[in-house]
Amino acid sequence: MAEPGGGGGRGDSAGDKAREEFFSEAQEIVDGLSRDLLALDQLSKSGGSDPELVNDAFRAVHTLKGLSGLFGAAMMAGLSHELEDLLDDLRLGRIEMTAAVLDLLFKSVDLYGRILASVKGDGPEPAAEVKALLVAFGQVTGGRGGGTPNQGAYDLDPNLLGVLTEYEEHRLRTNIQAGLSLYRIRAQFSLASIDSALEEVKSRAKPHGEIITYLPTGSAGDIDSIELEILIASKVAIEVLRTALVGQNVRIDEVERANRGAGGDGGHGTSLIPPSPPPGTVGPGGIPSFPSQHPPSLAPPAADTGRDLAGDAPRAARGASNSMMPGPPGAAGGGGGGGNNRELSLRSVSQTVRVDIRKLDHLMNIVGELSIVRGGMTRIVEKVRQRSDLRQLAGELHRLQRTFERHLVQMQNGILEVRMVPLGQVFEKLARIVRQISREADKEVNLVITGSETEIDKLIVEELSDPLMHMMRNAIDHGIELKDDRLRVGKPPVGTIALNAFQKGNHVLIEIEDDGAGMDPNVLIASAIRKGILTPEEAAELSSREVLGLVFRPGFTTREHVNNLSGRGVGMDVVKTNIGKLGGIVDISSEVGIGTKVTITLPITLAIISVLVLEVADETYCMPLASIEEAVVFDDSQVRVVEGREVTTQRGATLPLCRLEKLFSLQRRSRVRAPGSGKKFVVIASSGGRRVGFVVDRLVGQQDIVIKALGRKIQEVKGFAGATELGDQRVGLVLDAPALIEEILQGASGTIGSEGGHLLAGTLKSSGQAAN
Amino acid sequence: MATQLTRRRYESLGRAQGRAGDGSTRVEFLEFTLAGEAYAVEIAWITEILKPLPITHVPRAAADILGVMSVRGRLVTVLDLRRRLHHPPLEDDTRARILLVHAGEDEVIGLRVDEVVQVHRLADADIEPAAVLGGDQPAHIGGVGRSQGRVLVLIDIRPIVGAS
Repeated sequence: MAEPGGGGGRGDSAGDKAREEFFSEAQEIVDGLSRDLLALDQLSKSGGSDPELVNDAFRAVHTLKGLSGLFGAAMMAGLSHELEDLLDDLRLGRIEMTAAVLDLLFKSVDLYGRILASVKGDGPEPAAEVKALLVAFGQVTGGRGGGTPNQGAYDLDPNLLGVLTEYEEHRLRTNIQAGLSLYRIRAQFSLASIDSALEEVKSRAKPHGEIITYLPTGSAGDIDSIELEILIASKVAIEVLRTALVGQNVRIDEVERANRGAGGDGGHGTSLIPPSPPPGTVGPGGIPSFPSQHPPSLAPPAADTGRDLAGDAPRAARGASNSMMPGPPGAAGGGGGGGNNRELSLRSVSQTVRVDIRKLDHLMNIVGELSIVRGGMTRIVEKVRQRSDLRQLAGELHRLQRTFERHLVQMQNGILEVRMVPLGQVFEKLARIVRQISREADKEVNLVITGSETEIDKLIVEELSDPLMHMMRNAIDHGIELKDDRLRVGKPPVGTIALNAFQKGNHVLIEIEDDGAGMDPNVLIASAIRKGILTPEEAAELSSREVLGLVFRPGFTTREHVNNLSGRGVGMDVVKTNIGKLGGIVDISSEVGIGTKVTITLPITLAIISVLVLEVADETYCMPLASIEEAVVFDDSQVRVVEGREVTTQRGATLPLCRLEKLFSLQRRSRVRAPGSGKKFVVIASSGGRRVGFVVDRLVGQQDIVIKALGRKIQEVKGFAGATELGDQRVGLVLDAPALIEEILQGASGTIGSEGGHLLAGTLKSSGQAAN
Repeated sequence: MATQLTRRRYESLGRAQGRAGDGSTRVEFLEFTLAGEAYAVEIAWITEILKPLPITHVPRAAADILGVMSVRGRLVTVLDLRRRLHHPPLEDDTRARILLVHAGEDEVIGLRVDEVVQVHRLADADIEPAAVLGGDQPAHIGGVGRSQGRVLVLIDIRPIVGAS
C-alpha cells in the first residue's frame, strides 16, 4: 500500500541535478566531437582538411576539460588535457592529421563514452586504456619537433611572422602549399560601425576562401575610421571575389606569387611578393610579403600600431589567441562544405533543451486529465443548450469548447512530436563504428547515409544502436569482400554500404544495403546442417526466403573460426529479438555476387504497433506482427499428441500447438457457427527461435493499433502486453507472444498435460487474489 | 500512493463538506446496492458514474476483475464489487452502474455496482466504527452510517483499488 508518490520531477537534490546536467552536457559535447572527427575523416580520405573542424574539436575538448574539472572526474580531465595538447598541435600544424592520429582521436571519443558510463556507475573505469592512449599521444606528439615549421623553406618574411599568430601562420602556409591564391582586401570602416561592417565583408568573402588574418593598415582617411587589410586565401579568380564584395567599398588585389613553378629547389621555394603596392597605402605588416630576390619592402612591424588603433577592434584578442582559441571570428576559415553543417549544429545546440522523457509522460497524463474535463464540459454544454433562455450562452460555450478541443488535440500531437528524435543520433555512432571495423577488417568501406533526419520515438532510438551495429559488422565482415577479390569480379575496390532511413505511413524503414558478396544459399544450408540447426531433409523443403531466414536462428554462423568481429553465432537472432521487442520486423534479401539488403521496419512510436486481429471463442485478440512467422489453415488430421501435448508438422519441423481457448479457459457463448467456420487457423509465432502454433477460429486482419498499458491490477496477468481500442468502444487485448511461448514451452518440459497445469496455476492465482 | 490518495481526498473533502445545523461537518456519501444490501462510499472518491460500456474479459485475471473498458480512449480496469465483497454474481445488469474512481497517479478503476440510489450527507455523529458489526471486519469496511432511518455499510475504497 505504501508506495512512493511517483511523479517524474520529484525529490532530486540540487547536486544530483547538476550531475545529471554534467552527464548530458558532456555527452552532447562528446557527440559533437565525434561529428567533427567523422567529418575530418571524410575530408582526409580525399586528402583535404578543414581547419575549423579541428578548431571545433579543440574547443569541445577544452570545454570537456573544464567540465570534468568542475565535477571531479579526474580521469576525464587528464584525458582532456592531453587531447587538448594534441589538437592544439594539430591545428597549429605542428603535427600532421594522419590516419593514425585520427585513430587516436576516435579512440578518445570511445574512451570518453566509457569514462562517462563508469562515472555513472555503468562499468569499470577504463584506466588501462586511457593510460595506453596517453602513451600513444606521447608518441605522436613526441615527433612534433620534426614537424616544427621550417620557415626558411617557405621564405616567409620574419616581420610578417612576427605579427601573425602561430595559427595564422600555419593556415597561411597550408593554403600556399595547397596552391591557393592570396588576395588582399583593403577596406575602410567607420569606427562606429566596424563590427557589423567587418562581419558583412567577411561573410561575403567567406564562401570563396579562408580568411587568414586582418590587420589595420595604419592609414585611414580620418580619425573616426580605420582601414583594414584582410588577407584571404582562395581558389577563385579575383573577379569572383570582386563580384562578391561589390558595393562594400573595398579594394582587392592579388598577392602575386614569384617563382611559381620555377627555381627547381624542390618545389618548396614558393615565394610571394606584393604587387607593387601604391606607396603610402601599404599597411605595415598587413601584406604577407615573401620576398625571395627582393629585400623585404615591408614597413616596420605593425603590431604596436595595430594594437593601439584597435583597442576594441578584432585584433585585441590576438594576444590570447595562441593559448586558447583561434580568437576573433575572422580567423575562422570558410572551409568548403563543412560550413553549412557547422552553422546547423551550432544552431541546434543553442536552441535545444534537454528534457527527461518522464516529464513528457507526465504532460501526456495531464492531457489525459484534460480530456476528462472536456467530457464534463460537453455534458454541461448539452444541458445549457436545452434551456431556451440560455441559447446565446450555449452558443458561446459551444464555440469555446470546440476551441478547447482543438488545442487539446494540438497539444497531444505536440507532446508526441517532442518525443521524436532524428535517427541521425544513432547513425553518427554507426559511422564511427564502420570506420573502426573496416580498418580492423582491412577493407575499405564507404558509408552512404540518407534520411538521417527521419524521426522516431526517443525510446526506440536508444534501443537501436546495438542491433544496427551488429548488422554493420555483418555487412563489413561477411558482406564486403577484400579489395583484391572485389577487383577480380570487376567491382570498385571500395565497398559501399548504404544506410537509408525513411518514413512510410506509421512506420520508419531502415535499410542497410551492401554491395558485397551476398549470401549463398548453399553455404547457409551447409552451415546450418553442420551446426545441427537443420537436418538435410528439412533443408530440402526450405524456400529461398526461408533459407535466408536461417541467419536468424540462434547459434547460426557460417564462420569456422570466431574472430573479434563476428562469427560467434550470436548476432542476427539477437538482432531480430531486440527489434521485435520494439515492435519491429527484420527482413533480409540477398543476391550472390551483388549484395545483401537488410530492412528493418519499426513503428514510429512505441505506442503504435502492427497486429494481426484474431478471434477465439467469440473473443478478439491482437497478436503483434513482429512475433508472427506465418498463419496457415489448421489441418486437424496432422495433429498428434506427444507427451500430452498437441503437435503438428510444419515444413518438416515439429510445431507445438496451443489452443488459446483452452489456455485462457474461454467459454463458447454460442454453439451456432458461421458458414464455413469449421475451418480453423494456426498462427505461428516465434520468439528467440522457438515456435508455437496458436490455434484460432478466425483471422480478422492486420491493423495498426495504439497499444496502452493495462492497469496495475491486471498487469501481473501473464500473456498480455497491453490493450487497444478496436473501434465501437470495444477493447482488444494484445497478446504477449514471447511470454506465452515461454510459458507454453516451459510447461512442456515439466508435467504432462501442461495446459491443464497452467490453467490450474491461473486458477490458483485468481482465487488467491480473490481471497485478499 | 496512500499519502497521495489521502491528500487528494482531503482536498476534495474540503469542497464536499457542508456545515450541518449544529455546526459539525458533514461528508457526502453515495449510496448504492449490491445483492440487495445498501452500501455507500465517500463521493470525493468518485470522478464519474457511467452506464455499463462493453467490457473485455481478461483471461486469467483475478476473479473479481470484470475486465477492461475504454472510457474516452482511456483504459479502465473494471472490478465487480459483488465478487469483491463475496456476493453472488449479478444476473441482470440493466440498472448497473460503473463508478470511476481515481486509484493513484495515473490509474482510474471502475467499480460495478447493482444500482446507484442517492447521496447522503452524514455528520460524524451518524457514523459508527466498523467494529459495531462485530469482531474482525475486512479492511474495506470503513464503518456504518445511519441516514433517514437507513443503515449503510460504508466502504473504504483504498484497500479495494490499491495494490492488492
